[in-house]
Amino acid sequence: MIGRCLAGTLLGFPLAGFLLALLLQWLPDHGEPWLIPVLILFFPLWTGLMIGAYFFRNGARAWLALGAANALAWAALWLSRHAAGA
Amino acid sequence: MKSSTLRTFQTVHTWTGLVAGFALFVAFYAGALSVFHDDIALWQNPPWRAAGADVSLDTLARRMVEAHPQARDDFGLVLAPRGTTQAPYAYWVQDGEARFATAAAIAAPSTGDPARGSLADFVYALHYSLGIPTVGLYLMGVVSLLYGLALVSGLIIHLPQLLGDLFALRAGRNLKRLWQDAHNAIGVLSLPFHLIFAVTGAILCLSTLALAALNPLAFDGKLSEAYARATTTAPARPAGGAAAPMLPPETLVERARAAALRTGVSSFEPDYIHYMHYGDRNAVVEVRGLSQRTLGTFGTVALDGADGTVLSVHVGARQDANGIVNSSMYALHFGSFGGRAVQWLYGLLGLAGAFLFYSGNLLWIESRRRRRHAEQPRRVRAMARATVGVCVGSCLGISAAFVATLLAGALGADPALPQQWACYGGFALACLYAGLRPVPRATPELLLATALLTALAALLDLARNAGVWLQPWSHATAAVFAVDLAGLALAAGFAGLARASWRRARHGEPNHVWALAAEG
Repeated sequence: MIGRCLAGTLLGFPLAGFLLALLLQWLPDHGEPWLIPVLILFFPLWTGLMIGAYFFRNGARAWLALGAANALAWAALWLSRHAAGA
Repeated sequence: MKSSTLRTFQTVHTWTGLVAGFALFVAFYAGALSVFHDDIALWQNPPWRAAGADVSLDTLARRMVEAHPQARDDFGLVLAPRGTTQAPYAYWVQDGEARFATAAAIAAPSTGDPARGSLADFVYALHYSLGIPTVGLYLMGVVSLLYGLALVSGLIIHLPQLLGDLFALRAGRNLKRLWQDAHNAIGVLSLPFHLIFAVTGAILCLSTLALAALNPLAFDGKLSEAYARATTTAPARPAGGAAAPMLPPETLVERARAAALRTGVSSFEPDYIHYMHYGDRNAVVEVRGLSQRTLGTFGTVALDGADGTVLSVHVGARQDANGIVNSSMYALHFGSFGGRAVQWLYGLLGLAGAFLFYSGNLLWIESRRRRRHAEQPRRVRAMARATVGVCVGSCLGISAAFVATLLAGALGADPALPQQWACYGGFALACLYAGLRPVPRATPELLLATALLTALAALLDLARNAGVWLQPWSHATAAVFAVDLAGLALAAGFAGLARASWRRARHGEPNHVWALAAEG
């Protein structure tokens, strides 16, 4: 219980940030005209991830899955920034 | 859904509700009152009780730059709610700290609460921070997050029987069933309203912290500038160096209003004036105001400070997506988008929300009660005491603050300290009373005390303004009269609750923490 709670809270925070950063990255003009509407999604997204973490069977799985999702989202963000720069 | 998952969410719902419920009760009760912020400000300082010299905005701006010339490049004037005799004040940042001063106290600005003594702002501060400076705001942000979790987990638990039970209100012998039905019905039917507050509450309290953390983490350090670009509406104009006389703020406000109305909104009530490079030929003055008949209720008009030319209009549909969303977020939270009808709707839904958290605690008690014993478990008694002390105590404290403000005003004293003492003192006494006295007696007695204090504030004010009710009525007369009537209605509500809890104590099921028989 507490493992899933911590996984959702601690890993949900950066994951929500990475996902929104990706969305802005892929929108035209890096999403500047829609920055505020996208940022408003942050807290609902984080809450959704915190709730989502409880659907895993135990804390270890939640940490593993959310950790992997963080790594993937970060990698995608890094790639799309550098692809755009090239 | 698996039953183990449902049980997990039951636990999440119970814990988030327990941790955040008390703070949410205060936030919703004080918030329901804060919807009528400007009316409460009028109630305290109606125009017929003019206090002190009436200082024009122009005098305030002149004295401001005279006393603090270093702030002339960037300062603001905060306007008082329309019709009140409350003084407008200047706002600027010096040495990284916010400063506030009225025209009368311009040489000695305060760094603390700019609206000290204003009852409406006191209740509003209780709403967003429980009255605790700085930390309280973040605390309420965390509470908003827990509130979001409680809403979603509650919805998930309730999902299997959602439609079947939605309109069921089984009033029978089983009181727990009735409380459960009422809790679910209010929770589900006002869910859109609650989702708005969970989201906007978290944003209003925590967005600064979240942006600061996310900026280096996910946005390569580019978020702050992008955010500033998305929210800044005033045209950037460097100071020209040549001095020029400024048009009075009153003139600029009128021009701003005219420019705003040309965009098709039905009104523009200015509440803030932002000065950049006061006294310079390139001075820019941005007037912010509240409009109706638009999605983006808060809008700004930027003008040339020297000749009054309109430089940019970000009002109503003339705002971009960022501006509209930013502005509608405030409108949705404050209920400022639909005149009186929406204000009353928000006020009633706010009270219903307070009831939601109160009934949540009652349900916790009901489901842990021992049916066959007079003696109830220790944690059930503790929860009953805490619920009565905190919930009824905060209503009592707020009503006491109304009485204290009125008495201080009548005696010509500064209302700031009496307000705080009455509110926090009343709250602490109520908690103490609920902690020591048997619960079935403390509950009706505290409710009755709250009813009496609430009625006292309304009746004293009705009597004090007796002469005014006989004169021709203005907008302000109606607003103040309505505050008194609403006070009497609330008092009647508290008295009704006192009567109901007293009846239950005497005639309700005996094996219960609320029953008088349980005392033995």
